[in-house]
Amino acid sequence: MNYARLAWRDLRRNPLRLSLTVVAGAVGVMAFIFLRTVVDIFYSGAAVAQVDRLIVRNKVALTQPLPLSYFPRIAALPGVTAITHQSWFGGTISESQRDFFASLAIDPASFLKVYSEYTLPPEQLSAFQADPCGALIGRKLAQRYGWKEGDRVTMKSQIYPGEWTFNIRGIYDGTRPGVDTTALVFGYRCLNERLPENWKDQVGLYSVRVDDPARSAQVAAAIDGMFANSPYATLTESERAFQLGFVAMSSAILTAVKLVSNVILAIILLVIGNTIAMGVRERTRDIATLRAMGFRPFHVVMFVLVESAAIGVAAGVLGMFAAPPLLKGFMRVVESQFGPMAETVTRPQTLALAALAAVGMSLLAAVGPAVRSLRLPVAEGLRKVT
Amino acid sequence: MDAAVPPMVRLQGVSKVYRRGSVEVPVLESVDLSIASGAFEAFMGPSGSGKSTLLNLISGLDRPTTGVVEVAGRDLAQLSDAELADWRSAHVGFIFQLYNLLPVLTAAENVELPLLLTPLSRAERRRHVAAALEVVGLSHRRSHRPSELSGGEQQRVAIARAIVTDPDLIIADEPTGDLDRKSAEQVLDLFEALHHGLRKTLVMVTHDPNAAEHAERIHHLEKGVLQ
Repeated sequence: MNYARLAWRDLRRNPLRLSLTVVAGAVGVMAFIFLRTVVDIFYSGAAVAQVDRLIVRNKVALTQPLPLSYFPRIAALPGVTAITHQSWFGGTISESQRDFFASLAIDPASFLKVYSEYTLPPEQLSAFQADPCGALIGRKLAQRYGWKEGDRVTMKSQIYPGEWTFNIRGIYDGTRPGVDTTALVFGYRCLNERLPENWKDQVGLYSVRVDDPARSAQVAAAIDGMFANSPYATLTESERAFQLGFVAMSSAILTAVKLVSNVILAIILLVIGNTIAMGVRERTRDIATLRAMGFRPFHVVMFVLVESAAIGVAAGVLGMFAAPPLLKGFMRVVESQFGPMAETVTRPQTLALAALAAVGMSLLAAVGPAVRSLRLPVAEGLRKVT
Repeated sequence: MDAAVPPMVRLQGVSKVYRRGSVEVPVLESVDLSIASGAFEAFMGPSGSGKSTLLNLISGLDRPTTGVVEVAGRDLAQLSDAELADWRSAHVGFIFQLYNLLPVLTAAENVELPLLLTPLSRAERRRHVAAALEVVGLSHRRSHRPSELSGGEQQRVAIARAIVTDPDLIIADEPTGDLDRKSAEQVLDLFEALHHGLRKTLVMVTHDPNAAEHAERIHHLEKGVLQ
């Protein structure tokens, strides 16, 4: 016999209550991980943003275009190592919301020089660059619709009238986790040639790679200064700032989700606290007996804390392991309703935070019962009939 | 009592008053008492007469409002709560009416509990536990939990737990109060064995005149006053 065994035996005094508490705590941990990951999804664009990339957009609004003629002028600026452009196409393959995915017109020659996190076989890239209406699709999109190289995809755009047919010339992957592989990109030439004169030679935004991230601000200022007095003034910002601008549009929802995740921590606290308080109350006489025998308050507090921490650890570990598959299942359901979404990766930091929060909450939950057990006079505790 | 041998328990002018809000409730009044080392003494009295309070003061579970409580030569008032806890673990064995065994532990583990506070090794603790269970005749029930034992057996386990540290003083609060006559006799026989065989000092509170008869001396308490 030792203290650990004594604590373990006490913990198993009521197996059903213990199991239910651990499961309830685990559900809380899962919900916490789940909500935090949902928040992370919003920030995923900013998370994978490159520090050496700038986004140049119309100063008036993101929906306003920029002239294609800016391309060589920006490319010629000192510090700029690569530049590409992209235009939101907003295509769908059916009327259904669940078939919506990102589609963009890009510059095939320069796109991968700026977005090096996308990779595909060289022969596919060559075929894509050679075909004016060639398209690349992300791996996840290809898997969802069973599309393969050589297939033709016909889309309707929310912006550009008519039907548009693209030839799939390659399937790209991400070079690291978190890279979105749910988009379709096609050659800008295909779009530009069919547009009316007043829409031609305009792009949505430019992506610029700089040689030294420390000089990003200078390069951005140089770009904006160059077009300051033109009809198409620019706003240049880091890719991360650009992505966070999108996140800001959903800030109220994100704040609510974060708030709910914190409420869940409070629920874990209450659930475990309730169990520990019941356990301590039931053991009032046992605790008094131990203290009569000479066990110190320190021992009693340690028993209560260890017991509570054990519940927190069990709930944390169970929740940590159960959350990722649950989240994947949930995302599958979401995708079936709203179309393909970026890969959901539960960050190790989120898992660790959830587990630590479970243990922390359980320890916090034990403080009250532990203090109450100490306040009860030993002689009075010995008379308790439980 | 031999005047040269210091008493195991000495109470001088001991009073205890409890507070119930603004009301003071006197429980013990000016108790003077001396119990010799190796004695077996019983306290009787009606409910509320202060028997258990007296036992709590002698065993260091409570402190007097006024007066001196000396046990084994130590003035308990001079000890801090932590020192008092250490002193109890070394000098006092407790036996309760409802046995107060931990239900999640086996008989042997219950007996071993007080030894966790000693520097004894695991093997030494096991030897002590085996000896204590042998004394109470329950070696064969060592692996049983309290719920698997009869009331008499549980109380004998509690006695083994009380003697396993070889304390100077054994405190028994209504030890036969929850037992049938046969079990009560077994427990009292054990007390006699501890008293005569091991020369332990036993202080017992009881309502049962038959149990009290086993003691060498019977004290009566009436409304907090020792008769």
